[in-house]
Amino acid sequence: MNTIVWIHGDNLSPYNPALLAQKDAPTIFVWDETLLQEYQLSLKRIVFIYECLLELPITIRKGDVAQEIITFTQEHDANRILTTQSPSPRFKQICATILREMPKGSTLEIYKERPFIEIDEQLDLKRFSRYWEKVKYKALHPK
Amino acid sequence: MTKNMRRDFNNRDELVNYLREEFPNAIQPEHISHTIGGRKEAEKRLRKIHPREYTTSRNYLNGSVSHLSAYIRHGVMNLAEVRDYILNISKNIHEAEKFINELGWRDYWQRIYAQIGDEIWKDREEYKTGYTAKDYNNNLPEDILDAKTGLRCIDEFTNALYKTGYLHNHARMYLASYIVHHRKIKWQTGARWFLQHLLDGDPASNNLSWQWVASTFSHKPYFFNRENLEKFTEGIYCRECPLYKKCPFEGTYEELEARLFPNRLSNREGHR
Ligand SMILES: Cc1cc2nc3c(=O)[nH]c(=O)nc-3n(C[C@H](O)[C@H](O)[C@H](O)COP(=O)(O)OP(=O)(O)OC[C@H]3O[C@@H](n4cnc5c(N)ncnc54)[C@H](O)[C@@H]3O)c2cc1C
Repeated sequence: MNTIVWIHGDNLSPYNPALLAQKDAPTIFVWDETLLQEYQLSLKRIVFIYECLLELPITIRKGDVAQEIITFTQEHDANRILTTQSPSPRFKQICATILREMPKGSTLEIYKERPFIEIDEQLDLKRFSRYWEKVKYKALHPK
Repeated sequence: MTKNMRRDFNNRDELVNYLREEFPNAIQPEHISHTIGGRKEAEKRLRKIHPREYTTSRNYLNGSVSHLSAYIRHGVMNLAEVRDYILNISKNIHEAEKFINELGWRDYWQRIYAQIGDEIWKDREEYKTGYTAKDYNNNLPEDILDAKTGLRCIDEFTNALYKTGYLHNHARMYLASYIVHHRKIKWQTGARWFLQHLLDGDPASNNLSWQWVASTFSHKPYFFNRENLEKFTEGIYCRECPLYKKCPFEGTYEELEARLFPNRLSNREGHR
């Protein structure tokens, strides 16, 4: 069985770690029509994102994201999907749908990009000043 | 098989026309931003950053800011890469610190977003304006949407938002403050409007910044006076404004506070 890479709008870099992990794999981006409908984005934003996409070696589609990704895996006989992390709740929903609908034994691997700050402990996020006090040294002295 | 979208375009106009057809429900602006997407453009902008100039001029509308936000927002370039580059080109840490501190704001908002998800649309705290959420309106008035408030600065900020999909941080603060505190509109309404138009529109940075202005995520509301705006915009709007010295931003901070938040117990009084 094969692998596909799913690129989403929070990680449009050619150095996207999922893309680099499997350079020869078919790769897809899907315009989320539900989200576009909900947010009513200006075409300016769509043009900007599209220009980012055109620099990447990927197939571009639009529709229901989870469904389109599943279709793409079927087209490529794939049961392994690589993607990258996103804080967006919609990303979590889409991942859950994909995992529910894919055949048993399929996997979805979520890569993380290099973090701004390497820290394991839970940070106090009540105010920026507290956060910054805690992370400043690491931010200015990365490994 | 599902249809692939096109990848071959001879020029930008062809791309724009194609996207107009493919996304008929998107807001169709008169202008497409000059900001071009992609890593190559992001790298060009990165190379133009001067951390030392940034430190002293970033609050000015024509200050030496990076215009990297749309690229960072879409992960075309990540915060760690930008930070490493800044450290590399700076003579010392001190010179790099302000820029990296600003990158920190994005990381901070993103961490909150990862924790609270869609709660990002809810007031994090009470308003500290002397008003409650129900005192604020849901709709953006036409004069703001049409850039016809008569206030030269505010209207030009709106025009720039529509035309370029970008606003300087200070312009965002001024516009948000005008909408929430002078026009008594819910921050959520303004935030949604920004997200439609900003190329860097990001639920975390945007909504939490609006909440910071509104005071639902800070100790006090953010407001400004004409003198402050005139200084950081270097007078370009005030000079041409028919309402110069008669505008709603005229006055000292104490006067403005009394006008905008008559029911608010100011910090000073609170401490007495
Ligand atoms: C009401 C309001 C709404 C905002 N909405 C957004 C938004 O939707 N998306 C967004 O990216 N930023 C938003 N910001 C933050 C900030 O205004 C922009 O990130 C910044 O103006 C982008 O310009 P620049 O790239 O030239 O910034 P620079 O000053 O050159 O900063 C470099 C990078 O640091 C980050 N950064 C700098 N300041 C901030 C900040 N205060 N908060 C978060 N990140 C920061 C950005 O990624 C930026 O590209 C908002 C601010 C306000 C007051």
